[in-house]
Amino acid sequence: MANIKLSINGKSSTIDVDPQMPLLWAIRDFVGLTGTKFGCGIAKCGACTVYINGQPARSCVLTTGATEGKEITTIEGLSENNDHPVQKAWIAEQVPQCGYCQSGQIMNAAAFLEDNPNPTDKEIDTAMSTVLCRCGCYPRIKKAIKISINS
Amino acid sequence: MKNTSRRRFIKLSSLTGMYLVVGCRESATEVEEITATLSTDAPSIGLNQFISIGQDNSVTLFNHRAEMGQGTYQSIPMIIAEELEVDINKVIIKQSEANRELYGSQMVVGSRSIQTEFEKLRTMGATAREMLKQAAAKKWEIGIEDCTAANGSVTNKVGDSLSYGELVEAASQLAVPENPTLKDPADFKIIGTSVPRMDVPMKTNGAAKYGIDANVPGMLYASIERSPVFLGTITSYNDSEAMKVPGVKHVFKTSREMFGKHREGLAVLADNYWAATQGRKALKIDWDNKGLDKISEAEIWEDSYKMSKTEGDELFGKGNIKKALARGKEVIEAAYETPYQAHVPMEPMNATVSIEKDRAEFWGSTQNPNGMKSFIAEKYGCDESAVKINYTFLGGGFGRRSRSDFVEEAADLSFQAGKPVKVIWSREDDQTQGPFRACSLNVCKAVLSKDGKVDALEHKVIAQEIRNQDGDNMKAGRQLMGGITTDYLIPNLSVKGVLRKRHVPISYWRAVYHSTNPFAHECFIDELAHRAETDPLTFRLDMLENPRYRRVLTEVAKATDWYGPREAGVGKGVAMVERSGAHFAMVVEVREEGKQIIPTKITTVLDLGICINPDTVRAQTEGSIIMGLGAVYTGLTLKHGAMVEQNFDTYPILTIGQCPEIETIILDSDAPPDGAGESGLPTVAPALANAVFELTGKRVRKLPIDLSTII
Repeated sequence: MANIKLSINGKSSTIDVDPQMPLLWAIRDFVGLTGTKFGCGIAKCGACTVYINGQPARSCVLTTGATEGKEITTIEGLSENNDHPVQKAWIAEQVPQCGYCQSGQIMNAAAFLEDNPNPTDKEIDTAMSTVLCRCGCYPRIKKAIKISINS
Repeated sequence: MKNTSRRRFIKLSSLTGMYLVVGCRESATEVEEITATLSTDAPSIGLNQFISIGQDNSVTLFNHRAEMGQGTYQSIPMIIAEELEVDINKVIIKQSEANRELYGSQMVVGSRSIQTEFEKLRTMGATAREMLKQAAAKKWEIGIEDCTAANGSVTNKVGDSLSYGELVEAASQLAVPENPTLKDPADFKIIGTSVPRMDVPMKTNGAAKYGIDANVPGMLYASIERSPVFLGTITSYNDSEAMKVPGVKHVFKTSREMFGKHREGLAVLADNYWAATQGRKALKIDWDNKGLDKISEAEIWEDSYKMSKTEGDELFGKGNIKKALARGKEVIEAAYETPYQAHVPMEPMNATVSIEKDRAEFWGSTQNPNGMKSFIAEKYGCDESAVKINYTFLGGGFGRRSRSDFVEEAADLSFQAGKPVKVIWSREDDQTQGPFRACSLNVCKAVLSKDGKVDALEHKVIAQEIRNQDGDNMKAGRQLMGGITTDYLIPNLSVKGVLRKRHVPISYWRAVYHSTNPFAHECFIDELAHRAETDPLTFRLDMLENPRYRRVLTEVAKATDWYGPREAGVGKGVAMVERSGAHFAMVVEVREEGKQIIPTKITTVLDLGICINPDTVRAQTEGSIIMGLGAVYTGLTLKHGAMVEQNFDTYPILTIGQCPEIETIILDSDAPPDGAGESGLPTVAPALANAVFELTGKRVRKLPIDLSTII
């Protein structure tokens, strides 16, 4: 166990955990931000996607110790009022069904569009195929991404 | 016992009677937090268990069904608001308490929430509306027939107007009208429109709370090791290394019951989940797998084919199938295989339970809140009123969350530890422990008459039956024939079941037997059409009188230019099914791209009666199709008595890149609403396989299938 100082969404908190604990559980169970979700534990579904220094990462396989001193952003920190262009497009297209994977979908889409503001359909497919949705919101995710490109 | 002061309602009269909502605000419970951003602090008066109106004109509607993605979070309030005559975009939606007396069944299964609740919800809205009108009539000293309710106010002919907030106190004192007039569907303003869902914004910023997010002071986290061979029991174990992991507090044996069979596990309880999982890895357990670890995939299919030669139990019969098959010159026969499937909702199974001396509390994602209440009350010998159920949003259900097994584990561990316990299953637990969608062998036989009509058809289902997994009864029940239509006008038609009992636990999976049987039935009808040298869609129409099937088939033919010429390298296939009352026909278009065959467009035409929220129905159909298409490409396999595929790396669910264009056409109807949550799933596999045949001349009779191996 060790005291680890985390900076999440611009706020710092110190938690006493096993440095090997995946960041996901530190965020959820110790810092109390539950928007980041547990889906598979092997970085295959993307529900746990957060940003480390602005880059998307799978928090279920990233050790807490390795993120000390880095800036972590979770879905709660993506925007202040649920008004990031991707969030707005998600609401306009009524994307979520159960909603459980959507933090990961939105975080992944926002980072992807930051890097590639004008993607082709194929590029959208490739970038978003890494985040899984069992409800099958894919047609709406595609539409929402296109809307946020145009806004 | 339950602290009655926490109850938000004081019951004043019987079921449809009045409930006064206590004006002061109590501390928010877990479930209330879900809707915290929409809450009001104004005093509010309940007109019945679904409707409460504030003197500030706020309208709160209590939704009695859990939301797992199906969209009833919005469509249930839409039905109430329609009759109540209020602005649906201004209402506050709250989940109701779990209370069978007040709300009847609250189980979210089989696409029932709209079809069974429609009249009840309309009546609730209309009752309150009439009480508000009566209160206005009294005030103005005129007859109720001279009052009109609209947009949250009552008006009269001389232009006076009183808002619902001004009327609610007087209205709540009135007798409840017994048979309030329901609106003429032609006057519907909300029903039939695509109203945005109020749960959507909570699901784009991480605010929506799911069972796994429950945080109860003092709770322990549990991770449970179970034998991968489903009925394995613990012979001996050593927990000394596990107990050394920092944070680990206890190791307890536990068990969960599923369809009459108890399944053992060894749980590690810790003050955080990660520690519990690390402790679990350090356990040493010897399992007695009772020889079940000898069973593999091959034996299952060998057994199924062997048993397909037996007579089976008749589940439906018309004409004389034996005679008709015997007199046929040629018996056409085909066998179809569908594998076991896992539900894999994105939120793994979890439950948080606190079993206390004289009360209990549950927090979690469940399709059956009242079932969990009864289960806990019965198991711990307390009154149901002493069990508080906090049901949250569900991170997917698909049938898996109708069971109580994972709740039983949390309850048992809380009882043993004397603290609240949150059990979280890993993805591997979720995928390897089941219960699963049953695998199925379907053997179909038919004889065509000289004029190319089907004279006889026998469809035999060889599978496990969910309702009959335990005990010695080996007679197949009608559940086994789900999804096999008996509407085709075939003079000699027989559906038979050969019940198999296996150690693999099975349960309800989205569309249930409609997810397996139509693959065989609708592919076989297609095979017969080609043998009869008739267009498969015309072949179906020629055998149907049912106007709903005829309508969806005719419309899907139009929408897809079915009878038009095919482009080179394109194939189309059709299938039709009825599920939960909804009738639908689907055309799948496939394209040849090199060695690969790709489904490029899926068109579904639905007749599901009155449609409450068309956008939600479209979303449900899209989701059903995507889940159905995933089940064409992927399945589970059994080896040494256990499931081989453990996680998404080996059991890949469909991705956005594999998703074809989807068009959903909802037909106008004034018939009562049918269920919409599974529409589209049953037809994907057969329509796709039929399209592959049209393109390649090759029949797909075994799922899963890799479409790059056909050409």
